[in-house]
Amino acid sequence: MRPPPEREALQHLFAEYRRSGDASVRDRLVEAHLGLAEYLARRFDRRGEPLDDLVQVASLALIKAVERFDPDRGLEFSTFAVPTIVGELKRHFRDKSWAVRVPRRLQELHLRLGTVVAELTHELGRSPTIPEIADRLDASTEDVLEAMEAGRAYRSSSLDAPVAAEEGDATMPLSSKMGEVDLNLSNVDERSQLASLLRDLPERERTILVLRFFDGLTQSQIADRVGISQMHVSRLLARTLQQLREKAIAAGEPPPELR
Amino acid sequence: MSSEEVRLAVPALPEYVRLARLTAAGLASRLGFSFDEVEDLRIAVDELCYLLVGPDGREGSITLTYAMEGDSLVIVGHGAAGPRAAEFADLSEQILAAIVDEYEVTRADDVITFRMVRHQQRQ
Repeated sequence: MRPPPEREALQHLFAEYRRSGDASVRDRLVEAHLGLAEYLARRFDRRGEPLDDLVQVASLALIKAVERFDPDRGLEFSTFAVPTIVGELKRHFRDKSWAVRVPRRLQELHLRLGTVVAELTHELGRSPTIPEIADRLDASTEDVLEAMEAGRAYRSSSLDAPVAAEEGDATMPLSSKMGEVDLNLSNVDERSQLASLLRDLPERERTILVLRFFDGLTQSQIADRVGISQMHVSRLLARTLQQLREKAIAAGEPPPELR
Repeated sequence: MSSEEVRLAVPALPEYVRLARLTAAGLASRLGFSFDEVEDLRIAVDELCYLLVGPDGREGSITLTYAMEGDSLVIVGHGAAGPRAAEFADLSEQILAAIVDEYEVTRADDVITFRMVRHQQRQ
């Protein structure tokens, strides 16, 4: 594997990208590390998935890693990027049953959707409309809607087995905000199902739920705050909600009267 | 104020709830809702259809009506209560309260009717 160009030059590029959000700077950073993505993709070769697909997954994960990398946190980029890319490659294999059901073009669109939505949100300073996304993806609005549908962990599709920690996410910067989260929970009726269910959740899932449904942040805002992609927030939300529902049912709590 | 309506009747099975979500998304897109708002609507529709369908589905069908009224999307659904309907818990209420502007769920005998409204935010 060809070693990447001088560290210092790259550090400057990362600092510049973080400051300006300039896509051409990002692209240079991605190019500089494509060898790494390909190398990791090859590690997963000959497991039943075409190498081309793996390289694409790895490359998209690399783009995500470049976008999310914070040079001020003292990590080497490759230390940060490798778990991100490997995590996406593993997820690609876990989603294989999804791969059988969902047409390939939609899968590709779905993979690109996250990046494009993040880009547009950054550029526009707001959540993009569906036609704006379709334009950027060079697809129809129907395709975009189908692509949004393709990736969600809804009740009607089988969920990924819960993973203890998703590889590749930046370390949660919210540990310092845990005090805030606890404060919110203490306002909830102690006897409510919701409070007790929330308490049993892993920290990240609980935080996302609280931010979404108590603080009213949008998924994009949560993604920004927590340091993961909006698509990931979306998946985590859907999956966590279903798990909470199942727990509530299993706990056999007496149901409230419907209004 | 213009008003257009779409009506959808599907078997009360989980795989068809997808169509309910997709229809909501498509109409919201027509009204100019943003990506975040469309995602919210899909969660809301999914949540409410679950009441009528349950995790494994049941016999019969559910009916949804989507009305575009000016800038707003009004979704009304009804059907026989699904096997999980009694467990419309705090969590579902919290979720819906956060992501739609108005909602209402009523039950008469074994039939559930829900109604939800989302206004498009001008940005």
